[in-house]
Amino acid sequence: MSSFLTRNRLILLAYLGMVVLLLVTALFSPGFLSESNLRSTLVLAAFVGIVALGQTFVIIGGGIDLSIPWVLNSAAILMTLLCAGQDLPLFWVAPLILVGGAAIGLINGVGVAIFGVPPIIMTLAANVILQGLILVYTGGSPTPSAPELIKFLSVGRLGPVPVILLIWAVLALVASLLLSKAAFGRHLYALGSSATVAEFSGVPTARTIILTYASSGLSAALAGMLLTGYSGQAYLGMGDSYLFTSIAAVAIGGASILGGSGHYLGSIAGALVLTILTGLLPALNLSSGALLVVYGAVILVTVSLGSETFASLWGLVFKNKKQKTEGD
Amino acid sequence: MSVSVAERPAETEPARHLAWRGWLLDRAPFLVACLMLLVVVAIYGALQKGVFTLDEINLDTAAAMTLILAATGQTIVLIRGGIDLSIGGVISLGTVIAATQFSDDPLTVVMWSALILAIGFAVGALNGLLISALKLQPFLVTLASWSILNGIAMLILPTDGGGVPGWWIGFSYNQILGLASPVWMLIGLIIFWYWFRATRLGITIQATGSNEKSAFLSGVSIARINVVTYGLSGLFAAAAALYLTTQTGAGSPTIGKDYILPSVAAAVIGGVSLFGGRGHLLGTVIGALILTLIGNLVFVLRVSSYWQPVMSGVILLVAVLASSLAEKTARGQEQ
Repeated sequence: MSSFLTRNRLILLAYLGMVVLLLVTALFSPGFLSESNLRSTLVLAAFVGIVALGQTFVIIGGGIDLSIPWVLNSAAILMTLLCAGQDLPLFWVAPLILVGGAAIGLINGVGVAIFGVPPIIMTLAANVILQGLILVYTGGSPTPSAPELIKFLSVGRLGPVPVILLIWAVLALVASLLLSKAAFGRHLYALGSSATVAEFSGVPTARTIILTYASSGLSAALAGMLLTGYSGQAYLGMGDSYLFTSIAAVAIGGASILGGSGHYLGSIAGALVLTILTGLLPALNLSSGALLVVYGAVILVTVSLGSETFASLWGLVFKNKKQKTEGD
Repeated sequence: MSVSVAERPAETEPARHLAWRGWLLDRAPFLVACLMLLVVVAIYGALQKGVFTLDEINLDTAAAMTLILAATGQTIVLIRGGIDLSIGGVISLGTVIAATQFSDDPLTVVMWSALILAIGFAVGALNGLLISALKLQPFLVTLASWSILNGIAMLILPTDGGGVPGWWIGFSYNQILGLASPVWMLIGLIIFWYWFRATRLGITIQATGSNEKSAFLSGVSIARINVVTYGLSGLFAAAAALYLTTQTGAGSPTIGKDYILPSVAAAVIGGVSLFGGRGHLLGTVIGALILTLIGNLVFVLRVSSYWQPVMSGVILLVAVLASSLAEKTARGQEQ
């Protein structure tokens, strides 16, 4: 465990930052630490966290997924259209949409891995094409409200625990096991560190790249459906803010945008930090402009802390621990 | 491509044939972009009367100019091997400052315009400094500064509004020799480019983008190159903001994000490589014109305007696949 923390000091730092942020917020707004407020903060963080799951995989593999906004939005709109407010269709609609999201990711992955298209361009094109197609299909008109069942999954509770937190916890467990224990995780870190070295070491690089984008499409589609349950309906542009927050959550969680490092446990902390900040600003009477300034500053500070320049500093702080793990 | 004189084979028939193919493959992405522009213009011209007139050229250039300016900065950064997402923030901030500070007095307008350009350069230079000093990734640094600048713009002007003087709005209607001022700007920009790419700075930026390590080893100060490259990108983004206010007549704290990814797309459609070292402003201009003309095309085809993003996405993919195919073929030939 200690070696895990040494390797992932940035993740530890993200959680530390989150705790400090919570305490500061509590200082300014005493009601913030109430059970109901913490619960609603966690629920909001869950949406960011679920979107960031796929983005984490993609970024660890050295790519980036800009198609998230409209995969999310398309999933939300298609679900409400196909279900028309009824619960029963959800049993075939939900799997269909998850497969659809994964399929978009698959196309992205094939474009990147097989055809050599830069990830930024491939996923950007997928995003605008999807946006256009959905707008043409719906004509921009509003869609029916979300089925009750999906509302239960997003805002319902089992005892004191929101259902969506259980969903998030299961996803986090699966993602962590995949990254830390499964062959997929080993392949992914190898791929992100150096695609060439990975290729020559027998890592199935194309398959691994395609899987990361497919999982990103899958998690964006899931988040889109759940978000529809949360807001009661699907609307155009509902995914737009999640592009920035998903990348920011992964970056704050300590992953390098170049790939090869990072962990979903870090992205969880990133999602929590971003959501707490969103809650902090109304308490301080600050506008959404100030929120953007703070978001940017937090990203700059966290990526600076992860930079090579600070690495030597960290080396001094963690010197003893490092020697111990090397001695193991 | 870089065969030294000593190694170059005698100019026999097959060698000349190869050189000619190499020249073509080298420019394949640019030629594909030209072809796509021709197709778009041909369809547009077939369906709409009066496309091949000076008026139409004036109008389309005026419509494309904001994107062209933003994409010029982006092109310089892409050739350096980086990316600049902060231009969205610079554009928002620029329009907001202009719309709140400009008055009827021309001197005030000139002073604030100079200040906006200076802010653009300073913000970009700061990006470049952070990227070099802390060895940070351009994508994340400029994403963060985009967020900060956009936030500041929202603090100055929370919603779209403000105003600029009437004579400022009339800028793109001024004509000399039948050509509107945006067309003259475009001509100036292209002349600037042919001068700039041959300067010591232009050559160094391209060399650094091709191979940072060898540029460093030959004595290039990477930090200085980054500061200047991103500074220029910020400067062009600020110019785009000023031009945008002549079109909209108002400030908008959110409008900048509409130019971030399209500026990258315009450059990539025009054959600028995302891996650095390759690209030309002419290609970027053609890319920006294609993206702008698609809007007209959707109109004359009488289909839903929602097809516009679909078309631009498909064109982007075609362009990038063409260049990746050409690169693969060229590499296969060298071996």
